[in-house]
Amino acid sequence: MTGLLAKAGLQLVLLLLVAPFLSGIIKTLKARLQTRRGPDVLQSYRDIFKLLRKGMVIPDTASWIFSTTPYIVFVIAILVGLMIPMTTTDAPLSLFGGVLAVVYLLALGRFFLALGGLDTGSSFGGLGSSREMTISAIAEPAMMLAIFTVALGANSTNLSEMAKVAVSQSWKFLAPSQMLAFAALFIVLIAETGRIPVDNPATHLELTMIHEAMILEYSGPYLALIEWGASIKQLVLMTLLVNTFFPFGLSSDWTARGLGLGLIFYLTKMLLLAFLIVLVETTNAKLRLFRVPELLMVSFILGALALISTFLF
Amino acid sequence: MSAFFEALQQKFGAQIQSISAEREEEIYVLFGDPDIRALAEYLRSAVEARLVTVFAEDRRSAEGVFFNYYVFERKGDTRYLIVRAPVRADHPEFPSLSAELPAVNWQEREIQDWFGLKADGHPNPRRVALHDNWPDVHPLCKDFPLETVLPPFEGERHIYRPALGEGVFQVPVGPVHAGTIEPGHFNFAVAGEPILYLQLRMFYTHKGTEKLFEKLPIPKAVFLAESISGDSSFSHGTAFCQAVERAAQMEVPLRALVMRTILLELERICNHVADIGAIATDVGFVVANAHASRLKEMLVSLNEQLTGNRLLRGMVCVGGVRRGWDIVQLASLRAAVDAFASEFQDLVALIDSSESTRDRLEQTGVLRPEKAKDLGVVGVAGRASGMDLDVRRDHPYAAYGRYSFRVPVYQVGDVIHRMQVRVDEVNESLGILRSAADDSLHGDFRAQVPPIPADRCALSAVEGWRGEIIHWIRTGPANHLERCKIKDPSLNNWPALVEAVQGNIIADFPVINKSFNLSYSGTDR
Repeated sequence: MTGLLAKAGLQLVLLLLVAPFLSGIIKTLKARLQTRRGPDVLQSYRDIFKLLRKGMVIPDTASWIFSTTPYIVFVIAILVGLMIPMTTTDAPLSLFGGVLAVVYLLALGRFFLALGGLDTGSSFGGLGSSREMTISAIAEPAMMLAIFTVALGANSTNLSEMAKVAVSQSWKFLAPSQMLAFAALFIVLIAETGRIPVDNPATHLELTMIHEAMILEYSGPYLALIEWGASIKQLVLMTLLVNTFFPFGLSSDWTARGLGLGLIFYLTKMLLLAFLIVLVETTNAKLRLFRVPELLMVSFILGALALISTFLF
Repeated sequence: MSAFFEALQQKFGAQIQSISAEREEEIYVLFGDPDIRALAEYLRSAVEARLVTVFAEDRRSAEGVFFNYYVFERKGDTRYLIVRAPVRADHPEFPSLSAELPAVNWQEREIQDWFGLKADGHPNPRRVALHDNWPDVHPLCKDFPLETVLPPFEGERHIYRPALGEGVFQVPVGPVHAGTIEPGHFNFAVAGEPILYLQLRMFYTHKGTEKLFEKLPIPKAVFLAESISGDSSFSHGTAFCQAVERAAQMEVPLRALVMRTILLELERICNHVADIGAIATDVGFVVANAHASRLKEMLVSLNEQLTGNRLLRGMVCVGGVRRGWDIVQLASLRAAVDAFASEFQDLVALIDSSESTRDRLEQTGVLRPEKAKDLGVVGVAGRASGMDLDVRRDHPYAAYGRYSFRVPVYQVGDVIHRMQVRVDEVNESLGILRSAADDSLHGDFRAQVPPIPADRCALSAVEGWRGEIIHWIRTGPANHLERCKIKDPSLNNWPALVEAVQGNIIADFPVINKSFNLSYSGTDR
C-alpha cells in the first residue's frame, strides 16, 4: 500500500510539474517560429501561481455547477494521469481502469466543462459548449478505435499491460495498423487540446473560440485549476501517444536508475512531439468551424482502418 | 456651362436659383426647395452620378434657414456637384432619400440628431448619432453652446429588433471588446452558427468633433483633424489643410504636394500591410502576421525618420508641410522602399502558399456588387465589390496627377478579394513612391498663408487608405471656421458589413470584420 502511495505521489508530482513546463515549451517554440521572442518556459508556472492568489469574479447567475467544475476538471485530469504509464510501464492506478476509463473520465471532464460554460447564461459560453460537444462527438469514437487497435495487439485494455507488451516486443511502429492508429490519435490530440487547426489557444476573438469560450467567465483560482487541468490533460494525451507508439526507455520497475533513465527518455520524446505539434500549428491556419468535423472524420476513418488492418497484416 | 448644366437648367429651371462655380472643381447649385428627390433621381439615372455625402448647416443667423448639402460626382468628371437645398427653420423637415438611396441612411439620421431637421419618409428614422437615451438636444445648431453640460441621461436605451423563431438566439458582442479596439455593439441573431441578422450600434465615442472645429483657430484645428481617426491621421490632416488652402485660394508649392503624396502612400502601405497580417491572424495563420508586423515596423521607423512621428502626425500644415527632407532622409526613403518591396513579395507568397488560409478567406463574407452600389460602399471594400472609385484618379489632388498607377477592382467581394485589393494597392503605391522620391523635391515646402476671408466654402477629398475622406468647410471671421463637415469612409461601409456577414457562421465574423477594418472613431466623430 505504501509502495502504491509512493508511486502515486511520485507520478502526481511529475504530472503537476511537467504539465505547465510542456505548455511553456510549446508557447516558446511557437513564438520562436513566429520570429517572436515569446514568454520563457517558466511563464506557465507564474501564470498559475498568479491566478491562485487572485480574487474571483463569479457571475450572479452561476450555480454550484460553475463552482464545482474547476475541481472536477482538475481532479479528473490527475486521475487520468495516474492511470497511464509515464516513465515506467507500471502506472500507479492502472489496476483501477484501462483505456475505457481514460476515455470516459476525459469525457466526464468535458461534460462538466461544457456545463460550466452554459451555467452562467453568457452567450459566448453557450457557443463554446455547443462547439466543444460537436467536436468531441466525433473525436471520442476516433480515439477509441485508435486505442483499441493497440489494445488488440496487447490483448489487454489495461494501459500498463499494453506498455509492458510493447516494451517486451520488438518495435513495430512501421506496421500499417500502428501508423494509422498514430495518425488518428494525433488528430484527436490536436482536437482535444484545442490547437490549430481545430481551435486557436492564443486568440482573443471570443466568437471564434471553442475551449476558451467555455472558460471565459472563470477567473482567479478557478481559472488556475482549469488551466492547470487543461495542461495536465494535454500532457496525458501526449504521454499516451508517445508511450503507446514509442515505448523506448520505459522502465519496467520503480528503481531510481530506471526512473531517471525513463524520465530522460520520456522528456525527450515529449519534446519531439511538442515540436511536431508546434510545426502543425505554425504552418496551418485554423479550419473553418464546419470543416473541423471533416478532419475528425478523417481521424475516425484512420482509426477504423487501423483496427481492420490488425486483422489483415 | 456645359450641355449637362443646360439640360439641368431646362429640366429643373423652376427650382434652380443659381449655378455657380466656387472654383473649377466645385459647382454649387442653389435649389429653391428642400425636396431634391426628382433631381437626385435624374442625376442617378441620366448621368449615373453618385451621391457622395449629405450634410446640413445651420445658416439661420445669416440666411434665416438651414441648408442641406448633397454632394454628387460622376465618372470621368473631376468636378463635384454640390446641391444646396434650404430647409425652413419654422418647418424643419426635408424629404428623405434613404428609401431610394440607402447609402445616405445614417447620414440623414445624423442630420436629424444633430440639427433637429426631420428626414420625412425615412424608412428607419430612429436615432443613430446621438444614442436613444440622450435628451432632446441638437448639438450642431448654432444656439447650442459647446460648453453645455448635459444632465445624466435618463432616457430609454436602444431597443433592438427582436429575433424570433425556434432555436434563434441573440448574441450581444461589445461595446467593450477583447483586444485594443474601440467600442461598438454588435447584436447577432443566430440559428446555431449561421448569422441570420446583425444589428450594429456605433457612436459610442461621439466626441462632437465637428462642433469642436468651430471653436478652434484654423492652425490648431489641423491637429484636431489629425485625430479624427488615428490610423488615418495624415489623410484627414491633408484633407483638412487642402480645404483651408482652397478656401484661402492659395497655391501650395510643388515640393509640398509631392511630399504629401509620399506620406499619404506611406500611410496607405503601413495600414494595408498591417491589415493583411491581421486578416491572417484572425484565421490563425500567425506567422504571416509576425512578418507583416515586422514590415510595418520598417515603415513606421521610416515615418519617424521622415516626420519625427511614427504615425505621421504633426507634419502636414496649412500651406504645405512642416519640414523638408535632406539627402540622407531621401536616401533612407528609397532604401526602405526597396527593402520593403522585396520583403512584401515574400509575405504575399507565404500567404498564397498556405492552402488552409486561402480556404478560410475564399467565399467568406461576400458583399455583392449590387449591394455595394446601393450602400455606396467606398474604398478598399468598395473596390473588392466592383465599385471603381478612387479619389486619387477621379479627382486628382496633391501630386497624384504626375504619376501613373492602376486602381484594382474586383467583382467577387469576399474576404480574400478585399485582401487582394490591399496587396495590389501596396504594389501600386510602391510605384508611386519610387516616382515621387525622384521627383522635384527642392524649393519651398511651405507657403505663406494669406489672411483667410470669411464665408468661403471649400470641399476637399482625399483617398485615405480606407477610402474616400471628405472635408467641407465654411470659413468664418478671425481665422475660425463656421462649419466643418467630416465624412470618414467608415460611415458608408459599416452597414455593408451587415450585408456581408449574413449567412456566414458567427465564427467567421471577426475575419470578415477585419477585412473591412473600419474606424469607430472616424464614424462616431
